[in-house]
Amino acid sequence: MIKEPAMEIHPQNIIEENKKREHKYNLYKAILLDIFFVFYSILVVQRAIYYKFFLDLRELPFSWGEIIILFIISIVIGTSWAISRTSLSCKLFGIAKENKTTKWTVEIFAWFLFDITFIAGWVVTKISIVGLFSTEGLQGAERLFSALFHPQFGIFDDALFAMIETIYIALIATLISIPPTLLISFFTARNLMKENKISFAVYYILRIILNFVRSIEPLIWAIIFSVWVGIGPFAGMIALLVHSIASNAKLYSESIESIEEGPVEAISATGANKVQIVWHAVVPQIVLPFLSFTIYRWDINVRMATIIGLVGGGGIGTMLMQYQGLARWREVGLIVLMIAFVVWVMDYISAKIREAIY
Amino acid sequence: MLLKVQNLHKIYKSGTHALKGVSFEVEEGEFLVVIGLSGSGKSTLLRCINRLIEPTSGIIEFQGKDITHIKGEELRQSKMQIGMVFQQFNLIKRKSVLSNVINGKLGSLGTFESILEKYSDKVYEEAYKCLDTVGITDKAKIRADSLSGGQQQRVAIARSLMQNPKLLLADEPVASLDPATSNSVMQYFEKINKELGTTVICNLHFLSLVRRYASRVIALRAGEIIYEGAPRDIDENWFKTIYGEEAEEVEIR
Ligand SMILES: Nc1ncnc2c1ncn2[C@@H]1O[C@H](COP(=O)(O)OP(=O)(O)OP(=O)(O)O)[C@@H](O)[C@H]1O
Ligand SMILES: [Mg+2]
Repeated sequence: MIKEPAMEIHPQNIIEENKKREHKYNLYKAILLDIFFVFYSILVVQRAIYYKFFLDLRELPFSWGEIIILFIISIVIGTSWAISRTSLSCKLFGIAKENKTTKWTVEIFAWFLFDITFIAGWVVTKISIVGLFSTEGLQGAERLFSALFHPQFGIFDDALFAMIETIYIALIATLISIPPTLLISFFTARNLMKENKISFAVYYILRIILNFVRSIEPLIWAIIFSVWVGIGPFAGMIALLVHSIASNAKLYSESIESIEEGPVEAISATGANKVQIVWHAVVPQIVLPFLSFTIYRWDINVRMATIIGLVGGGGIGTMLMQYQGLARWREVGLIVLMIAFVVWVMDYISAKIREAIY
Repeated sequence: MLLKVQNLHKIYKSGTHALKGVSFEVEEGEFLVVIGLSGSGKSTLLRCINRLIEPTSGIIEFQGKDITHIKGEELRQSKMQIGMVFQQFNLIKRKSVLSNVINGKLGSLGTFESILEKYSDKVYEEAYKCLDTVGITDKAKIRADSLSGGQQQRVAIARSLMQNPKLLLADEPVASLDPATSNSVMQYFEKINKELGTTVICNLHFLSLVRRYASRVIALRAGEIIYEGAPRDIDENWFKTIYGEEAEEVEIR
């Protein structure tokens, strides 16, 4: 930023002002967070604990009017709580009053949040110890396991072929993912992008997109793409590709962020341009981690490729799904055995290669 | 006048007021040493001069030109004329000594050429000459991180020589070396200053080194210049003012 040289600067003022501004922002954030906490507590207590647990209702009553009223109540409570500087969020943002009231409210409320969340979780997952140990259930499990332990080797050649397909799907997805991932990772590394506003905006937007893509499981991507390009290996490959790019771009850019700053500074001090700085100071520091992440990704992709096959992504997973549908557990047993073996071998190989690299 | 610093202030984002109105001038050919306690702002001063960090206010004039707020191409041009050597050497560890030295030339090489790392014979010749100046031509093909600390610092010096700098900044270049090696590395700075006529500004901790190599000394305390003069004039009293009442001088030979 260009500052007028003539302008007088009073350092003390700048420091004071920065502090004040930060304080103000933290209060806003605390208010929002407190509103959320209060709203969350009210909803959980009302719906999960009261309706579900005590009244044991099957259908929960729902009306927008009620929700809005609860939300308005939360706004009032949350805001006044934050402004009084005794709330949990104030503590989190470091703007709470240091006194007994704060200490007590924060402690009690934090425990309260934890407890209701745990109870709600219990209610929602319908935990049933009885189901786990019923005679009926145990018998079914026994039948299944005995079949699994007597695998049917008749379908071995088919299964082998499907397995190879799976490994190749994973390999191709990994290989194709490398160039786009490289490119993206440089634009999502904070230390390279924070310099000016435009590059920071690019960084920010790309990060959001990546987070979004990554938060969708490869399984879901496979379903999307099997509708798009048709069921089969190609859909599975694209699903893995998309997920590989999003996941590895994060890992790559994190390793770019954790490079030594010294050499970068030294090169930029020689008057090198931006591209030269990246190529000569950043790249040499990240080749090894990149290679290692990529091999690891292949390993992960093999596992995922088997899962993706379950929803029509091709390979061994699709085959597993077919035999499972026919309840032919001995064939399923063979396939599971093969998957376990391949995953184990891949795990071993990728660990060995990564060790050798370092 | 090579460098003129006027009323320089630096306030970090954290609020630390590291430089509080520093003014001084440097003539061509000087060997200026900056001393002061840890945290007194020595590194901050050097970093402002070659604009690794942005000064908050004040003026920096280099070769008669105001470089305080220049940007882009202009900034690159001025950086090319100012070499810098760091305490931690800051070499690219996995690269050879030779490519590390050539890195010093990047500013005047084309982007494409430097990415392919296909340099002309002239560049190699120059690199070997710089390595020769610091006496390690025989290590040219070796990985930089397999050298000793003193050797690595010499490579770093060679890298900055590759820039043909008008001004060489050195931020505690011998602080992580043993006394004997420190002295030998400092001798290279002296050689560059005397033989090539490069102006040197160097941060140092040991007064014995200061007395031996400096042509002039600036002392900083809490971001302000409290002493400026010849090294031999730093007597017991000044020493205590600069380093505090408790301090006692240690010898390094
Ligand atoms: N990047 C930074 N962000 C915030 N504060 C900093 C930063 N770098 C230095 N400072 C602060 O500025 C002041 C001056 O630091 P500087 O590194 O210039 O001192 P120095 O004289 O070089 O010390 P040393 O001998 O330890 O290297 C210190 O208080 C330091 O904590
Ligand atoms: Mg320093």
